[in-house]
Amino acid sequence: MGMSQAEDWVLLAYRLPRVPSTPRSAVWRKLKRLGVAQLGDGLVALPADPCTREQLEWVAEEVAEHGGEATLWLGHPLDTSASSAVVSRMTAAVAAEYDAVAAAAATVSTADAAARRRAIARLRRELHRIQGRDFFTCPQREAARRAVDNLAETATAGART
Amino acid sequence: MRWATRPGVHVDRAACAWLIRRFVDPDAEFVFAADPGAIPAGATPFDMRGAALGHHQGRCSFETALASVGLTADPALEEIGRIVHEADLADERYDAPAAAGLDVLIRGLTLTSGSDHDTLTITGRLFDGLYEHTRRQLITGRPPA
Repeated sequence: MGMSQAEDWVLLAYRLPRVPSTPRSAVWRKLKRLGVAQLGDGLVALPADPCTREQLEWVAEEVAEHGGEATLWLGHPLDTSASSAVVSRMTAAVAAEYDAVAAAAATVSTADAAARRRAIARLRRELHRIQGRDFFTCPQREAARRAVDNLAETATAGART
Repeated sequence: MRWATRPGVHVDRAACAWLIRRFVDPDAEFVFAADPGAIPAGATPFDMRGAALGHHQGRCSFETALASVGLTADPALEEIGRIVHEADLADERYDAPAAAGLDVLIRGLTLTSGSDHDTLTITGRLFDGLYEHTRRQLITGRPPA
C-alpha cells in the first residue's frame, strides 16, 4: 500500500482449458476479488508483497489442479507511464466501488431503523472487501467509511431513544 | 519428525504447526524454506505450493490437514478450521467473526517476532486458548465467561 510505481509486481501467467467453463469462471472470480490488474489474456498482476504473492500462488495451484498451466513471476515495469496507467485503472475501479458504498449509505439514511442496521452491516462487509484490493490507498476510501459511520451513528442514537 | 513450511508464517501455517505439534507429532521440528525445492529431505511440507497439506478444493491448509489426519470428528477443531479459513482466505464461505482479529494479531506478531520459531511459540499459546474457548462454547452453547 502507498507504494511507488517502480516497485515490484507479482505476475501470474495462466492458461486453463476452455471446457469445462466452471473452473475458468471460479478462477476469474477469485482474481477479481483480489483486485488484479489484467495485463493481457491470461496475464494478471498485483503489487508484490508476501500476502499478494501467496494469494497468487494459491490461484496458480488451483489452475494446475484443474488441468491448466500457471507460472508466477516477480518483476518491475520498465515503462513507468504504462505502469502508472495500470495503477490508475486499478484505483479507478476501487474508487467506483467506494462511491457505490457511499451512495448506498446516503440512500438508506432515510429508511427505517431496522433497514438502516441491516444496511450498515452489509456496507461494512463491503468496505472490508474493497479495502482488501485497495493497494494504493484510494482517496474515496475515507469518504465511504465516513458515510457508513455516519449512518451507524444515527442508527445507534435512534436505538437509545 | 521434521515438517517444512514457508518462512514469515501467517495464520494458516501457524494453525497447521499448532495442530501438528498438539495432535499429531509432539516432537515435531519445524524448518522453513521459501522455495519448495529447498525443503530438507525427509521433511513433510505443509501450506506450500505442491504440498499434499496445502490448499485443495477451496479449503485452506489447516482444513486439509484436519481431514488428512482424521481429526474432523472434533467439532472444536472444525470450528477453528472455519475461523482459519476466513482469516486466510476471507472468501465469506463461513461466518467467523473471530477471523478478522486472529488475522490482525498474527500479522502483527510476524512483524515483531525475532524468528518464525518465536512466532510459532506464541501462536501455539493463542491456538491453545482458541481451542479451549471453542470447546467450552460448544459444550455450553454460550461463550465462556
